[in-house]
Amino acid sequence: MIPAAFDYAAPATLDEALRLLRRHRHAKVMAGGQSLLSLMKLRVASPSFIIDLRRIGRLAYVKEDKGAIAVGAMTTHAALAAAALVRRRLPALAQAAEAIGDLQVRNVGTIGGSLAHADPAADYPAVLLACDGVVVVRGPRGTRKVPAGQWFTGLFATALRSGEIVVEVQFPILPAGTRSAYVKMKHPASGFAVVGAAAVVRLGRDGRVADVRLAFTGAASHAFRARAAEEALRGQEPTEAAVRAAMARAPEGVDLLEDLVADAAYRAQLVRVYGARAVLAALG
Amino acid sequence: MSVGTLRRTRGGVGSSARRVDGVPKVKGAFQYGSDLWAEEMLWGQTVRSPHAHARIRGVDIAKALSYPGVRAVLLAADVPGRKTFGLEFADQPVLAQDRVRYVGEPVAILAAVDPEVARRAAERVVVDYEVLPAVTDMEEALRPGAPQVHEYGNVLHHVRIVHGDPDAPADVWVEGYYETAMQDQAILGPEAGMAVPADDGGVDLYVATQWLHVDRQQVAPCLGLPPEKVRLHLAGVGGAFGAREDVSMHIHACMLALRTGRPVRIVYSREESFFGHVHRHPSRVWMRHGATRDGRLVNVYARVLLDGGAYASSGAAVITNAATFATGPYEVPNALVEATRVFTHNPPCGAMRGFGAPQVCFAHEAQMDRLAQALGMDPARVRLQNAMKTGSVTITGQVVRGSAPVRQVIERCLALPMPEEPAAGPRDPQALPGGAGNVSRGEGVRRGVGIAVGYKNIAYSGGFDDSAEARVRVFRTADGPAVEVHSAAAEVGEGLHTVLVQVARTELGIEHVTLHPPDTAIGSAGSTSASRQTMMSGGAVQLACRAVAEELFRRVRARAASAGRTLRGELTLADGRVLAAGEPVGEVDNYLDEPIEARRTYHHRPTQPLDERGQGDVHVTLAFAAQRAVVEVDEELGLARVVQLASAHDVGRAINPQGVEGQIEGGAAMGLGLALMEEVQLDGGRIRNASFTDYLIPTFLDMPPVVSAVVEEPEPGVPYGAKGVGEMATLVATPAIVAALRAATGRPLNRAPVRPDDLIGLAPPVASGPPPPAPAVPGPRPVPHYHGLDAGQQELMRPESD
Ligand SMILES: Cc1cc2nc3c(=O)[nH]c(=O)nc-3n(C[C@H](O)[C@H](O)[C@H](O)COP(=O)(O)OP(=O)(O)OC[C@H]3O[C@@H](n4cnc5c(N)ncnc54)[C@H](O)[C@@H]3O)c2cc1C
Repeated sequence: MIPAAFDYAAPATLDEALRLLRRHRHAKVMAGGQSLLSLMKLRVASPSFIIDLRRIGRLAYVKEDKGAIAVGAMTTHAALAAAALVRRRLPALAQAAEAIGDLQVRNVGTIGGSLAHADPAADYPAVLLACDGVVVVRGPRGTRKVPAGQWFTGLFATALRSGEIVVEVQFPILPAGTRSAYVKMKHPASGFAVVGAAAVVRLGRDGRVADVRLAFTGAASHAFRARAAEEALRGQEPTEAAVRAAMARAPEGVDLLEDLVADAAYRAQLVRVYGARAVLAALG
Repeated sequence: MSVGTLRRTRGGVGSSARRVDGVPKVKGAFQYGSDLWAEEMLWGQTVRSPHAHARIRGVDIAKALSYPGVRAVLLAADVPGRKTFGLEFADQPVLAQDRVRYVGEPVAILAAVDPEVARRAAERVVVDYEVLPAVTDMEEALRPGAPQVHEYGNVLHHVRIVHGDPDAPADVWVEGYYETAMQDQAILGPEAGMAVPADDGGVDLYVATQWLHVDRQQVAPCLGLPPEKVRLHLAGVGGAFGAREDVSMHIHACMLALRTGRPVRIVYSREESFFGHVHRHPSRVWMRHGATRDGRLVNVYARVLLDGGAYASSGAAVITNAATFATGPYEVPNALVEATRVFTHNPPCGAMRGFGAPQVCFAHEAQMDRLAQALGMDPARVRLQNAMKTGSVTITGQVVRGSAPVRQVIERCLALPMPEEPAAGPRDPQALPGGAGNVSRGEGVRRGVGIAVGYKNIAYSGGFDDSAEARVRVFRTADGPAVEVHSAAAEVGEGLHTVLVQVARTELGIEHVTLHPPDTAIGSAGSTSASRQTMMSGGAVQLACRAVAEELFRRVRARAASAGRTLRGELTLADGRVLAAGEPVGEVDNYLDEPIEARRTYHHRPTQPLDERGQGDVHVTLAFAAQRAVVEVDEELGLARVVQLASAHDVGRAINPQGVEGQIEGGAAMGLGLALMEEVQLDGGRIRNASFTDYLIPTFLDMPPVVSAVVEEPEPGVPYGAKGVGEMATLVATPAIVAALRAATGRPLNRAPVRPDDLIGLAPPVASGPPPPAPAVPGPRPVPHYHGLDAGQQELMRPESD
């Protein structure tokens, strides 16, 4: 299908992009266009002005910075999946990036676009939550840092304010001995997560689970931390049986999505199973 | 023709000749219906009902008509001739008149200069609806007081089969209830066609269809034109599977073309395609099987309901098939079958590969497994013990005169090699249920094996003479003799046109064969459905070739006689030469100063309609198949993967072995779809998943290796002894896969498609009350009598007061 008519600019600097964003009321920034363009083609979105961020240099990078992995907003999924730093220090993030859609989408789509779009079935949100990441945004009033827990506010809704652009995403580097994994059930047609689970686990000196953070995507209107299951697992021996038992509490208190591929009962089962498989994968 | 001839001509009958449409299709050069294009062409668009049942109070087209670029907006009142059409009964409005009966029913059509203008203008057609209560459940539709879909009630047709003594006692009884979902044909090429107005006031319609002539029989009366002024030409067909048996955009495009005086093209989007064609009837089936203690079937009761949605389509024939095949390819001495085709406010259902047989096969095969379990017998043994054979009597009292190698297909199927057991240790996730999304290491994965046997008719049944015509012309070219075959038979992707070429090569011993484009300039070939075209149009080409050969031989003999020679022995043709008693006499070319042409019609043996007790010699020919499925189920995720499909098929004779294999594999994929993923999901008559993102069909990654055996036991009295092979793989794949899932999980799965919830026990088996009472047969009058496919010319009658 054909999108409605729109004007287009590809500014060379972030400041120029922010200026354009302020000036045009119905403007939208475009990163990889992998979500935006399909919405425009379906006419779910009809922005009158497109600000293409791809000319702006220096927004695509992966680097270590003050105890965190700093990822530029325009970093593509493919670049993230291939980054040695990420693969070594935060396998869950590389696994999530690698599991997105197909190769074409991974070569063009960006992490900034994905987090700004906040699709309930996107992969990064689970990793961002499980890693206690931070989203860095720039707006008319300067730069803000939004902790993961405050970023996702609803279905396709985030803490991003009008006039703001995501510039960076920060993932604190996990202490030695802390391990992570991301696993997902792919929607057979779209590739999005029917349910995705990210786990960050640290075993204590006694061999028991000293700390665990577990987050899910695809299961509810936005990604969430499964705190009851984390609680149940903390202090346990990391056996398969203990992990599975703790996961019984993973769907607790969550309003689960129902759609054509999975009803709420089945999603709850997927949350339990993928939660367990994520923790077990992290433990190796 | 002698067997020697068969072997000598390259690409003839029995060889896996290269497909005549293969190279262009692979290269992307083949013109499909959606590629149709003409200068000055307009784009047609359809405005459809958003309601399952509503009265139309008024339609305001002023805003659409005045939209720049719009050339015509037409309503029911603009239909020039008869206002309704239909395959068996003319009950479906060309455009809704005062009432809509399903979501997606066409209400208005328009033509505009480009598709975007057409789309926007369509949004400006304002229809004032008074929404009425709808009935969207087939059992509810049968209850007194249910909303009436038509003034003649909610039953299109009821078939009762009484065979032997339905009260006959048995030692062991098993009982079951089964459901199958509405399945979409998922034709990759959506409905497409272009109508071009002609100088004589008529119209030429280029359309992707299964049967040009039955289309014309419905289109011409609606246009108020004599048939000869409505000329149909086959456009490239991107799959059919029954979806193109009914008229879709045909009449609309012609109306718009005749009104605007310009070519009008209509191509449905994927979403619209879900509304634009009939689907496989959803079914509810209650069955009770009685057997002796040693496993012989004694008595079978079957109650079958098919939800046909809002209109008749081919529903009367579908329910007749479902009824006659309800007990499977087994000898059943006593039976009672009650089968009802119901109207609801769901989208209309009609033909789809298998045509009523898959729904009952799913049920009777589950019953055979239950019986085996109750008797403590091997499922294959129960089937072998009861298998039909030549001379058996079906439940309609028909004596099986043709080949019926049921025992052979079962034995050959079971003899095919089993897949290897997975090696110990972590497994490749791609090979696990769920594919890449399965992140287990293979633990909790269970294997199961299931089998199923089924059968179906070839060609149309019940007294209908679906004959096929063909014209064959042999002429001289610079490169030697050539043959042109003219047939209206639609190639729908299955390889029929290659088969027709193979027949001509074999019969005439000439390799160079071309096909005239299929159109209505020649007589009807009948439908490319019911697995019938190889037999029917293959037969017509064979007859025409033989008439041509006769004339050729007359010329050969005449020339020999005038030279004072007498030719000894039988004359035959091979490699472009004429032979007498196997010895060359001369080149065919030498006898073609005048081309030779013949036109012939092939008829299958006559059949009978069912009588009041559902008895009759109803089917022309029967084909049988057995299927084994091996599946794996992830017991936590409820995901299944089919590991292998093995089947044996009774094809009579394989005209093109590779084509046969293709049909078996494609048919199995469709059966796998119904077993595991394919369901048109409805909510109050609305299709919730009208896209290929939400309506999932098997892909490469879902299909296992298919191994097959072909049983060739020629059918007497048909050309080359060849039966059809288009449908059997579909109907046996679904029950075999679901049987394997039952074996893997131990759960009594009784609905297809099986969902993950069912496999892990989140959802109980579908439950039912007692079967609904059967309508009286014959009549009362609202139950129309099935007269055969006299192509939409019948009216459904109002109940008479008598
Ligand atoms: C076939 C297909 C399969 C897919 N499968 C998956 C999958 O499996 N998992 C998954 O997670 N995703 C999937 N996606 C989505 C994909 O990851 C997108 O790339 C991503 O959601 C959006 O990134 P983008 O760079 O393309 O953003 P765009 O489409 O350009 O923008 C998306 C939205 O974010 C806004 N935006 C973009 N960048 C910024 C920024 N820097 N600051 C503020 N706002 C911004 C835009 O205005 C727009 O509203 C799939 C997409 C397709 C087409």
